[in-house]
This record gives sequence, C-alpha cells and structure tokens, in this order.
Amino acid sequence: MNTHPMKLVTIICEALARKPLKKLLAEAGAHGYTLFPVEGDGSQGRRTADIQEFANIQVEVIVPPAVAETLLARLEKEFFAKFAMVAYETDIHVLRREKF
Amino acid sequence: MQIDFIHALSANLLSPAVLFFALGLAAALIKSDLKFPEALYVTLTIYLLTALGFKGGVAISEAGIAKVILPALAAMLLGALIPLWTYPLLRFGGKLRPVDAAAIAAHYGSVSAVTFITATNYLKGINEPYENYATAFLAVMESPAIIVGVLLGKMTLDRPSSVFNGSLKGVLREAVFGRSVVLLVGALIVGVLCGKPGMDKVEPFFVTPFQGVLALFLLEMGMVAGQRLGDLRKVGPFLVAFGIVMPLLHGCLGVFIGKYVGLSLGGTTLLGVLAASASYIAAPAAMRLSLPEASPALYLTPSLAITFPFNITIGIPVYYALAKYFLH
Repeated sequence: MNTHPMKLVTIICEALARKPLKKLLAEAGAHGYTLFPVEGDGSQGRRTADIQEFANIQVEVIVPPAVAETLLARLEKEFFAKFAMVAYETDIHVLRREKF
Repeated sequence: MQIDFIHALSANLLSPAVLFFALGLAAALIKSDLKFPEALYVTLTIYLLTALGFKGGVAISEAGIAKVILPALAAMLLGALIPLWTYPLLRFGGKLRPVDAAAIAAHYGSVSAVTFITATNYLKGINEPYENYATAFLAVMESPAIIVGVLLGKMTLDRPSSVFNGSLKGVLREAVFGRSVVLLVGALIVGVLCGKPGMDKVEPFFVTPFQGVLALFLLEMGMVAGQRLGDLRKVGPFLVAFGIVMPLLHGCLGVFIGKYVGLSLGGTTLLGVLAASASYIAAPAAMRLSLPEASPALYLTPSLAITFPFNITIGIPVYYALAKYFLH
C-alpha cells in the first residue's frame, strides 16, 4: 500500500471559536478541515449544545508534521487562554499525500 | 396605581408565553431530559425574527419614515451611551477586570429581541396599542453598544499579533452583519417594500401562529436559563444585583426618552423594555470573537439567568406601569 505518514490534529472547542479557529488553520497551512457539532463536558463545564453559545465543535485537520507543530504551538499561545478547548495530534497514514 | 400594577403583573405572569418560560425553568431545575434539537431552536429564532422584522417594515411603510427617524435615532444613541456608564460602574463598583466590565457593558447596552417580542405580546394581551414600527428601534439598538463595548475593551488590552487583531472593520462586520441583525433588518426592508398588500399574503403564516411559536420558544429559553442558574454562585452578589437594578434604571430612562420623542403609551413601554433588556445571543457571539479574553460566565450569566427572566416576568409590567405613570 502506498501510504504516507501524516498528523491528524483534533481540536474540540466552543462553537463560538469557529471563525478565529478557521482563520488560524488557514494561516498555519492546513489545506482543508472537517467539522462536527458535538456536545460534552469538561473542566469549563457542561456543554449541552442546546443553543449555539453552549455548543462545541470538533475540528480535524490532516497536516504534515511540521504544520502540526506550528498549529499546536499557536493554539497553545493564542487560544488556550481564551477559549474552552482541547487539542491533540495522532499519527495517521494517508493515501494521496499531495492532498495535504 | 397599586391595584393597576398588580393587574399588570398578573396579566403578564398568567400569559402562555411566560408560563411556558416558567415550565422550561422548572424542567431544567428538576433535571428533566426534555431537550429541543438545536435545529428547532434555530428554526423558531428565524421565524420570530423574520415575522417581527416583516411586520415592523410594513408598519414603517404605513407610518412613513419621517415618523420613525427621530425615535430610532434616540434609541440608537441610548444604546451606544449605556455602556459608557455601566463600564465604570462595573469596573470600579464591581471591581471587575476592564475587559470583563467592557463585555458586560456591551451586553446591557444591546437588546434582547425575545424580551421585546414578549413585551409586544403582553401589550396585545392587555389591548394596549403600540407602534408596530418599534421593531426598527430593536434593529438599530442591537449593534451600537456592542461596538462601543468592544472598543472600550480593546483599549484596555495589550495584544501581541494574533488572529484576534481585527481592526475596527472586523468588529463592525461582526456586529452589523451577524445573523440576527441581517434577518431582522432584511425582513424590515422587505416589509417596507411590500407594504400592506404583502402582509395580507403572509398573514396566516407570520402573524396568526406567532404567539404559539413564541410560547414554544420561551419554553426552550426557560430551559436554557434554568441550566445557567447554578452559575449564579460563581458571579457573585454584585452582578446579581446589577442584573436586576440596572434594567430597572435603564427601563426608567427608556420610558423617559420615549415620552419625549412622542411615542404612544405602548411605544414608550417598548422603548423602556429595549433599554432594560440585555443581549444574550448577539453580544456573546461578538464577545467571543472580539474580546475572547472576557470571561463568558460573567457576561452570560447575568444577562441570561438574571436579567432575561426578571424582565420577562416582572420587568415588562413594571415598565408599562412606569410609562403609564409618566404619560399621565
């Protein structure tokens, strides 16, 4: 199989952070993203998703390791203090590496 | 006057809209698993704002722009000015951080469309006529305070370069092109252009079911507000008191201004309601984007869990009684 190693960066945060987050992803060099509306609970309290203000989103991007590092660094520096958020990366293998 | 007021109060508290709100609160407090799908909430919002805007626009086309301009400007000015005194009160009286004070000030200068709608419902219920074009005041009062609040907040922050360094343009864009403003103002314009003939065509959809939709919507809002009651402990007594006292003061101010720009008793009440209401949809969304350093619990909780329920149950009849007192 012709697969290539990439990083999957997952960000789960409040729905209202969507716009700045998308801007950051584009700036950091992600070529696309997938977004799911989610609900949950965490250190910032229950996110019941009854209305937008209390809803969460889960955003996934597939990026090369260097971009993942930049992305996580910027999230830590610019977002963690301001928004309810968790972010993590996992190792994945993709086909068609030129898409990322 | 006192018996009048009791009547006014009970007329409100026994209306379907307010009772459904109370049901929602109760459902949240007993931790029922009743839950509205978010899509339904969004649908009801779209319906209410569109219907409201459209009716307002039709009213403007019938009354003529000239009648609307002066009160609308007064309303806009009031909205923009409210943050200017609430900010120092919160900062120095409440000892809040500047950015939090600015965010809360923005919320209280802005308006709650749902409170406004509930007030119009109330006036209809007691057969008190009001200017339908008052919706225009709602539309123009939503954004100015948000802009002023964000400017106040940004002035106090020292930010290194990041995605949040939106210029004034970005703030304006968010405040003026946000979903609820676009819907409301857009529907208003459509109403102005269509006039009465247009209203006749859509009346069975936008007018007749309106009260029922509002009741359903307030059921949801009761649940949302009820979920936040636990946060009251976190915000402290100053903000709890602020959430009740400021609306009363602003309500007086709004009624006062309404009298001087020549509105009817109903219209004056509505201006008071607008001044007294606090945003909990448009303003929080704008804050998360322009002042993310502000703590959401501090602005959402007073606005959603204290001011909104207070205005809906007790506030509206109080502002009506005040208007009656001032105008007679």
